[in-house]
Amino acid sequence: MLQYWTAILTEATIFAILALGIDMIWGWAGDFDLSAYAYFALGVYMTIVMTVGKPKAPVVYILGWHLPYLIAVPIAVVVVVAFASIIGAIALRSLREVYFSITTLGAVWAIYYAVENYTPLFNGYNGVYGLFDPMGGSLSYNNYHYIFLGFCLLVLFLIYLVVQRLSTSAFGRMVRAVRDDERAAAVYGRNVFWAKYRTYLFGAGLAGLSGGLFAAYIGAFNPLDWKPTEIFVLYAAILVGGRGNPKGVVLGSFIVYVGFVEMTRYIPSPAARPELGPALRQILIGLLIILMMKFRPSGLLPEQLGSDGTVARRSWPERLLRSTPATNHPIAAPDDEFNEDVA
Amino acid sequence: MSTALLEVENISKSFGGVVAVTQCSLVIPEGSVVGLIGPNGAGKSSLIDLVSGFERPDSGSVRFAGTNIIGRRPDVISRMGLIRTFQTPREWRDLSVIDNVRVGRSALERESIWRALALSRRLRREESSERQELFDLMTHYRLDGVRNERASGLSGGQKRLLEFARIAAAKPRLTILDEPMGGVNPVLGERIGEAIRELKRAGSTVVVVEHNLPFIEKTCDEVVVMDLGSVIAQGHFGDLRDNKRVVDAYLGNDDE
Repeated sequence: MLQYWTAILTEATIFAILALGIDMIWGWAGDFDLSAYAYFALGVYMTIVMTVGKPKAPVVYILGWHLPYLIAVPIAVVVVVAFASIIGAIALRSLREVYFSITTLGAVWAIYYAVENYTPLFNGYNGVYGLFDPMGGSLSYNNYHYIFLGFCLLVLFLIYLVVQRLSTSAFGRMVRAVRDDERAAAVYGRNVFWAKYRTYLFGAGLAGLSGGLFAAYIGAFNPLDWKPTEIFVLYAAILVGGRGNPKGVVLGSFIVYVGFVEMTRYIPSPAARPELGPALRQILIGLLIILMMKFRPSGLLPEQLGSDGTVARRSWPERLLRSTPATNHPIAAPDDEFNEDVA
Repeated sequence: MSTALLEVENISKSFGGVVAVTQCSLVIPEGSVVGLIGPNGAGKSSLIDLVSGFERPDSGSVRFAGTNIIGRRPDVISRMGLIRTFQTPREWRDLSVIDNVRVGRSALERESIWRALALSRRLRREESSERQELFDLMTHYRLDGVRNERASGLSGGQKRLLEFARIAAAKPRLTILDEPMGGVNPVLGERIGEAIRELKRAGSTVVVVEHNLPFIEKTCDEVVVMDLGSVIAQGHFGDLRDNKRVVDAYLGNDDE
């Protein structure tokens, strides 16, 4: 049981990093990207083929290096960012909103089927695998899982600090201005493409990093382990937690991964229909998205407004209970003669 | 007369078969407030799009502060000191009011990802040292009561004032206002006229597109009249009142 919980928490931690990356692209920059799961998968594949050594026939894959894990992951992140720089340059140059999403959807399926069918790359649909131990074999099998969970939590904490700092910086503010009205942002001297592109690459880098962690967690990876449509689980996590709020995104990831993986485990599947449980999980996630959109579209912890520093900030449990942003002044002051609404 | 800040020479632009601007020329002298008037469809807004880089003219030249700006992106032209508005206020709706003004003035070098991560404490200190200046600006445009609110919650009039606060924070050399009086009541109209004079005092040249002629007469040093995609007259408002082409453009010509 303890091992089971360790596995679920590790998975949730890794996906929280991926969700933080996707949230930068969608929550901050407003680009509904559908290819991030490919960046995650590429991170997994690259980390595995750089650490497990030469393939043994009939298995084939590129590289086949035997690098230490902590060197392989940064290289995988660099490869993922380089790859995302091509897709991002095409998709972000002049396409926006649904046109951007369709382009990234096309990209992710193209990558998916290329990986599945072009065997020399990552061994096609059989995928890549190999025993590898990020800690260098110094730990027993049982301890390893706990240590690795601790390592993932540490990485998530550091990434959270970085993302939170960026979110409240002039950069985070400017990217959100571009999201809200890019023509107005251009009028005030902002290079719209460059703002979105930088955010996209940073988010893709986080996706690659989460893939690197997932590689050590899962140890084997083939096209059955990742479907591009699974990105909607991450969007559900972002919606539940609070789009644009890093703290909310982490919270949402844990709610969705721990809550929903757990909940569906206790749904009995008849022996004749073993696929019923997983199917119900998908249905519940779909329902969760719909209900959140209907009743709390900005999530449990909505995006924080930048303030002048004179407003007392409410603690986050308090914000969780009351979703409206702190208000210390009425919007329409009764003595203000300028409040005539423009039709 | 002072030197020319903006020189537009024979520019033309058509969208498919529709001619928006044709052989249009005008000169905006530095330090003046110029009204740009003309009937609907005369090409005023198209001209602004061409000058600010949102559209590229088919032919002709545009010089801003002596530099040819044809083919430059809007953000590049903006960094040279040209700020424009649109017919409707375009606030950044999910930013707070004060953040809207901060983005208006913000130093661009603070927006590097690496500086934001490595120098965050220094950048934060810099920003809080500029706070008083922002507060004064907010008070001046009667936004101090709502400065921590989401900009989307402002009334139409407050959004107009926020636009002026943002421009004042940006300190442009040339400001082009596209119908700043659209949908505002007379009291706020007075305040907007004052805001335009303040921009001039702060050293900005101002071009105002407006249909409200008494407002133009009161606010502007000179007037440019456009019709059918080109400039048909330029001069002092009083002199143009008797110009037959201007009167025809506005009232229609019965002789034809």
